[in-house]
Amino acid sequence: MLKKYFIFGAGLSALALIILLIQWFFVLEQHARAKPPATVFSNADNANVEKPCTDDHVEWRSAQEIEGVSILASPVCEPDNPYTIAAATKGTNNVSMSTLMQSHLAQDSIVMGEDLDHDGDPDVIHIKLEIVELNGFSPDGDYLMNTYNIAPGVQPSLWVYAPKMQGMAVKNFNSRVAHPLLRAPSPVIRVEQGDKVFITLENTHYLPHTIHLHGVDHPWLNSEGQDNDGMEEHAIFPGKQHTYEIQPRHAGTMLYHCHVQTAQHFMMGLNGMFIVEENRPNNWVQTLNIGAGQVRHPSASVKKQYDQEYDLHYQSLDKQLTRIPQEANDPRLISQKMSRDYNMSTSTENYFLLNGHSFPYTLRDAMIVAGENENIKLHITNLQRTPIAVHFHGHKATIMAYDGVDAQQGTQITRDVFDISPAQRLDLSLKTQNDGLNSYGAGLWMFHDHVPTGTTTDGMEPGGNMAILAYKKLLDEQGMPKMHEGMFNDVFNKEYYAKKRPIWSTGDFAFLLGDAGLVVPENGELIAFFMVCGMLIGLIMLLISFYIKKRS
Amino acid sequence: MKNNYLRHKIKVISILSIVILSLAQVSFAMMSMDEKGMVMNANSDNLPKDCQKISEEVNLTVHAGQKYATKFNGKMFAFDQQEWNVAPCAKINITFINDDQIRHQLMIHGLPGYLYPEGMLHLELYGQGELHASVILPSQKKTYLVHCELAQHAEKGMKAQLKVGGGDGDLPSIPALSAPVKTDIYTLDWMAMKWGGILILLVSFIIFYVGRVLFLRYLKMSN
Repeated sequence: MLKKYFIFGAGLSALALIILLIQWFFVLEQHARAKPPATVFSNADNANVEKPCTDDHVEWRSAQEIEGVSILASPVCEPDNPYTIAAATKGTNNVSMSTLMQSHLAQDSIVMGEDLDHDGDPDVIHIKLEIVELNGFSPDGDYLMNTYNIAPGVQPSLWVYAPKMQGMAVKNFNSRVAHPLLRAPSPVIRVEQGDKVFITLENTHYLPHTIHLHGVDHPWLNSEGQDNDGMEEHAIFPGKQHTYEIQPRHAGTMLYHCHVQTAQHFMMGLNGMFIVEENRPNNWVQTLNIGAGQVRHPSASVKKQYDQEYDLHYQSLDKQLTRIPQEANDPRLISQKMSRDYNMSTSTENYFLLNGHSFPYTLRDAMIVAGENENIKLHITNLQRTPIAVHFHGHKATIMAYDGVDAQQGTQITRDVFDISPAQRLDLSLKTQNDGLNSYGAGLWMFHDHVPTGTTTDGMEPGGNMAILAYKKLLDEQGMPKMHEGMFNDVFNKEYYAKKRPIWSTGDFAFLLGDAGLVVPENGELIAFFMVCGMLIGLIMLLISFYIKKRS
Repeated sequence: MKNNYLRHKIKVISILSIVILSLAQVSFAMMSMDEKGMVMNANSDNLPKDCQKISEEVNLTVHAGQKYATKFNGKMFAFDQQEWNVAPCAKINITFINDDQIRHQLMIHGLPGYLYPEGMLHLELYGQGELHASVILPSQKKTYLVHCELAQHAEKGMKAQLKVGGGDGDLPSIPALSAPVKTDIYTLDWMAMKWGGILILLVSFIIFYVGRVLFLRYLKMSN
């Protein structure tokens, strides 16, 4: 009888000890005591810090003339390739072999033909586009192919229209990095009003696609009586091509995008700007602006009214959607995962890009570089899923056109936040006159989507489409903004966007705002905790031995 | 002082760019290009160091196109063949035919760099059409990678191998020839054996049970 009570008591106390230990465990972990843990610097080695600017093509920055095409200076870190600009302006059939080789475009990618109105520039233009997957799957190992970083270490898969090029889709024969022509966003297409334009989509991708010319004056059927609107039912399948024909009677900022499985394909990056410039004599326009941004060879009418011209392409990506092509190689599986397993109506935006990059990479090629007293033309397009509210620090700009239609005198609104719904376009005139209204003077003025998430990269700030409207004198010789050096070590680091570094990990306050370490409990308490643990184990063993004895 | 430094920098850069340009001119000489396509590093005359003479001359016709992928499951682009075997020091006369309306390439990697810059032969067709090029292979037993370098074309099936003297093994993820390193995950078809699976389960259970009975009987007998 006494034994029975003893066993009962032992069981009860074991139970009590377990409850005690569980509670104590949480107290041990949470209780900061008199001495909170010290700051740890586990990721302070800076092994992953990238150079803010690699200075690959210094010679591309200056103003120059190639093949008779005058190309404006572009003092940013990563300027556009002037040979590609020259070939895109004169046509790949009108430039020397040396220029063509350095442009990396295929010989038939931009073919300029007849001058229909005899005004000194070609009016029949044949453009060929391919479709490229960036950051795609590889069956040969645990890595991605044709990589393109939107921010340090951030590699979502992307689909883009790309100019028809020649050679490999990688930077060189032993690299997995995508060729510089293959990048986000899809290139800006620029033609002259009244041009007879043929756009051939050569579908080099493994799923069907189309080109829909949003807002661009085009007949519903082409001259052969085939589809000319790029709708889902007339998809261009892999290995096939189709030519869309247009002769736009109206000038303005328009769009083109894929209209197959539109929600998915649009959000994968198959969208771009299509700009129709006014017809002028001797007006050779830059047919493609790779990577958007500064137009280094503006059209005649823009040159007359403005000092500079920029194309600003705002784009967002869904982390879950852009992971799908990296999870399978079989096109059937990718199609199933993307269109059926994944429900696009639950889609969210995680990455926000301006001209294909998120901050800090926007500092390399997506800045607006201004002089004083300039009038700058901006074409802004929202190709995101949600509206944007673009804000320029230190400036108020004026709307000159809505969706490619010139604004009448009374509707040319001057303001500092521009709300743009998905697929809408605004043409702005931004003046750098230091008069307290147009501009507050020289500076490194940030500009960004003022929707708060717009400046984040998968939730990490600073990121997203944050960029700088920089006055020339405040840039260093590499084209990077001065007075930002302190921040560069923090953000040009993939560990930062992998969320492995505290926000303020360098400088005087790193000690105060770094990562808190682990709590070290007092020795006495630790001894007591483990003693109770030991007693519990003893009790359990005692109970087990009783049980075994009873059975035998 | 700083100005001088800059000037020097510009000088260095301009000299460098001239050198790079002249190098580029050399590589132009190794290639032919027109509006249909290009050939880079073709070689019909120069023997590799380790070959006394050409051992055999092989005429090879290679088709590239989406339709050649239809015989494989889960691919989109392919060549019409996935493997070629030639003798050491063979000369191959390649006829490359593109049956698609898009760009395709035929690239052979790993060739000796002194004959083929960057170790590769590069044939590229900008659309439907054909190209001709020759290549002379060294004597070494080796498997050469043959593929199209367009984004996702090799991944989605346009990959093959050229074996010299039997080659030195297989390359991964060649359609119907070798397994990928990183495989796709499909749902397993449990009903593939219909009722066979359950039958096998029953039979093996009976075998086990009978075996146990017999074993116990044997134990009893030996006692």
